[in-house]
Amino acid sequence: MRKTLLKASVMSIMMGGFFGLQTTFGQSDPSGKKPITSTYAITNATVFANPSSEGSKATVLIKDGVIKGVGNNLTLPAEAKIIAGDSLFIYPGFIDGASNAGIIKQEPPKRPDNFVSSNPPDEIAGITPWKSAIDQFDISSSQVDDLRKMGFTLTQIIPDGGMLSGKTALVVLGEKNSTNLIKENVALNASLNGARGMYPGTTVGVMAKFRDVYKNTQLTKERQATFASNTGISRPELTPTYMGMMDVIDGKIPVIFNVENDLEVRRALSLQKELGFQLILSGLKEYDNVIDLIKSSGTRVLIQLSVPDDKAIKAQKDDTDESVKAQYARVKEAYDKAIAQAAKLEKAGVAFAFTTSGAKTNDLMKSLRTMIEAGLSEKAALAALTTNPASILGVSRFAGSIETGKMANLVISTGPIFQEESQIKHVVVDGNIFDYEIKEKKKNGANGNGNGSVSIVGTWDYNSQTPAGSSGGKFVISKDGSSYSGTITYQDPSGSGQATSPLKDISLSGSTLSFSFDVNAGGMNLTVSVSGDVSGNSMDGSMNITDFGSFPISATLNPTLIANK
Amino acid sequence: MKKLSYILAALVGLSMQFAIAQTPKGSILIKNATVITVTKGTLENTDVLVQDGIIRRIGQNISAPSGVQTIDASGKYVMPGIIDAHSHVALDVVNEATAPIVAEVRMKDVVNPYEIGIYRALAGGVTVSHAMHGSANVVGGQNATLKHRWGSSNPADIIMQDAPRTIKFALGENPTRVHGRGNGIQPRSRMGVEAILRNGFSEALQYKKRWADYNAAKSQKGNTMVAPEYDERLQTLVDILDGKIIIHCHSYRADEIYMLINVARDFGIKKLVFQHTNEGFKVAPEIAEYTMGASVFADWWAYKFEVYYSTAFNAAILQKNGAITSINSDSAELIRHLYHEAAKTQRYGGMTDDEALAMITINPAKQLGIDDKVGSLEVGKQADIVIFEGHPLSSYAIPQMTFVDGVKYFDIKEDKDDQRQQVSATEMVEPIMLTEENHRCMQDTEHLFETANALFSLHNH
Repeated sequence: MRKTLLKASVMSIMMGGFFGLQTTFGQSDPSGKKPITSTYAITNATVFANPSSEGSKATVLIKDGVIKGVGNNLTLPAEAKIIAGDSLFIYPGFIDGASNAGIIKQEPPKRPDNFVSSNPPDEIAGITPWKSAIDQFDISSSQVDDLRKMGFTLTQIIPDGGMLSGKTALVVLGEKNSTNLIKENVALNASLNGARGMYPGTTVGVMAKFRDVYKNTQLTKERQATFASNTGISRPELTPTYMGMMDVIDGKIPVIFNVENDLEVRRALSLQKELGFQLILSGLKEYDNVIDLIKSSGTRVLIQLSVPDDKAIKAQKDDTDESVKAQYARVKEAYDKAIAQAAKLEKAGVAFAFTTSGAKTNDLMKSLRTMIEAGLSEKAALAALTTNPASILGVSRFAGSIETGKMANLVISTGPIFQEESQIKHVVVDGNIFDYEIKEKKKNGANGNGNGSVSIVGTWDYNSQTPAGSSGGKFVISKDGSSYSGTITYQDPSGSGQATSPLKDISLSGSTLSFSFDVNAGGMNLTVSVSGDVSGNSMDGSMNITDFGSFPISATLNPTLIANK
Repeated sequence: MKKLSYILAALVGLSMQFAIAQTPKGSILIKNATVITVTKGTLENTDVLVQDGIIRRIGQNISAPSGVQTIDASGKYVMPGIIDAHSHVALDVVNEATAPIVAEVRMKDVVNPYEIGIYRALAGGVTVSHAMHGSANVVGGQNATLKHRWGSSNPADIIMQDAPRTIKFALGENPTRVHGRGNGIQPRSRMGVEAILRNGFSEALQYKKRWADYNAAKSQKGNTMVAPEYDERLQTLVDILDGKIIIHCHSYRADEIYMLINVARDFGIKKLVFQHTNEGFKVAPEIAEYTMGASVFADWWAYKFEVYYSTAFNAAILQKNGAITSINSDSAELIRHLYHEAAKTQRYGGMTDDEALAMITINPAKQLGIDDKVGSLEVGKQADIVIFEGHPLSSYAIPQMTFVDGVKYFDIKEDKDDQRQQVSATEMVEPIMLTEENHRCMQDTEHLFETANALFSLHNH
């Protein structure tokens, strides 16, 4: 029985792949999902073909995953499905410089019986340069859906693991029945994080081990060459680690180093200077002090698409003494400096790109708008999402802009892409169109602090859909002065019955309610962030669980006998 | 002047990075002070002229060359910048505790120039500190000697680039607890510690020979040898055997101190300094004869079993027996008043002013191999200088200004409430850790003995 099922699913996957490639076939489509055409024309839309474009009215014709024409006098073939684009804005599909979307968390390998923490096997110590991200990639993951919904069409996926976790791969965020693979073995992913409870356990150990692995790979290569052209030479020991490092020492692929702050940037650069590999810095959050260094070293950089949360500066009060005010000023200054970094990088002339790795997917556009408000030009913001990552990842030939012959990766929105009111209506990936629901956003008369027509106080019944099935419970929100507090009940993941957690960071901005809470699941603390749009007595939104992706949630507010004042 | 050098650098096509790599050098004239040179006596009503970071003249009635700022130090005391031979300030990681020998790790990789401890040390007159690896391993990592050039964001700027290499060793309870009791591997006892050392150096000799044999053979005709494996851990031990690195060894008991002296003698190692050395007074003549001395606490012991037997006369006894002796902090708190710590050797042991002050200046400089550059006020030396209100050995002494390379990095009159270089954008109040736990010899080792933690109340020095 199970076997038959398996066969059927394999068949359908194969057939699916078939349909994706062929336009004609001799059999009806058993899945019923095959699109009737792979040719589309989005007519008379405002097209921003590249970051420098001012936007002009044009029709974009795509066929079999390739842009066939951009212009006003295109002859549209009969099989083209027409999408009226008169009110729509088209941008090149976004490219994520590096992401974890769809990457399945790897179980730590089992320790052997004779395990010695001072000299662990490479695999256990996080040194696995032979591994490939594509083997850990699941296109059906909700993280992929979330990222695509934000306009991302192509990304470099980063393998999960330790200091040298493996090779990255380039994929499109496309159809479920395709591998979506563009290229394997793109870069070696590295970090300064040590292995827990074994060598190398800290950044100093990792840096020493990196030098060790690098230099011994070089020596292994020399021995291999001597062995290949001489007799009487002992067989060189070829370990998976050294074999996995060969392309790096040969300069064929870069090391993508995950570094958060300026000191880590300097550490990665010092290793590079010492050893001489190609380098991409990824995941930068605090880099204000190394902008000149990034510029002068010519290093390619992927900035994390996030900004620090503004809770600390929003919590600042007026009625305090001078010394507290001076402290406030410094925190505010630090915040302002942090959000203005991208603008400074632009001014320095660094063609940076973004990485979504480590950033909250739902907040990507909000973070980008914050950076723009702090001085980043819209042109540079768009370049960091399109042409710059294309160039950094070496895919400019077929991605990054809207031009005839390029891959049909598009973002189609209801307005200028960086405007808060704009919503993404379609995302085209590799010629496949993904449609998104456009929500009516209610204008809130009040100044966004929740005093307007929307009320969230009371007891809500909610229901969420997760891969484990649907689950639900209640959350209660009460208001005390200008701040909210509350609790939520949910099915206890580490046992049976219901568990309760306090709600944190409850806020109402316009009609958007957001809050988070912590769940203890088998000793692991998970933070769940909920955000949704409130309309009357109902809320629709998404629930984001750290490392697991996001899931839909809906809730209704119970009627109350107490009048809302 | 600075502008000109930039222009020149641009003209000759030197990269910007090269220009940045030059640390700032200052020029000042300090007038009419009581100048405590430490090595050449104490001079009343004396001026010190510093140009481009170097002490050019010490004498009377020196007039300031044009462009050189004059500081009137009438009634004040001027002494060399204090040197702390044992510190963990400005390090992001202290222990790579995972193996009994980690000679390959470099503390220079994890120097953090933003740490407020640097500024606090400057406020205590400390201009040079020895940023050490922790004491979790028999052979720890290579240390960094720092110059407290506060305000730079580049770790390279606060590393004293012309200081020799030094490395951390540790004997006794810390390495046996982390590895033996914590992880069930050698060393579990003091005998194991010695075995680790002897095996390590013996392996290093074999490693050296392997490479020497290969290098000799590879240019020969018909050579069939291939390059041996590279091992920076063993290479570093080779460098110690070759006299290129000074050992600074965490130690308490006389027997283990004498053990390491014997190991060093057997392997021909001469560059060796003992740290803590609480029972040093029992083996003071041996320390004096065979090593570069001991760096000790003024009056601090009994914080764990192996360090119950000690005395506040330790430093004086070591000194009187001819051992180079320094007083250190091993603490982000004590580093702020090492001059008080030095003064305790007068109360316990009757040291003279110069002998007491030498313990926080020229003696630690000798132990770090930098006594030709810093550690005393002498013409030609780097201008690391502190100006004190009150004699530095008085209880009422207060540092007024601290200079590194003739550049002022601390001035009590310009001491703002908030001297942090970096402020978190997301936290209104950052945690401040200025407690006893600031002794970080055993930092980053906690995960290694979670079970041991439950059994023993750990103390971390």
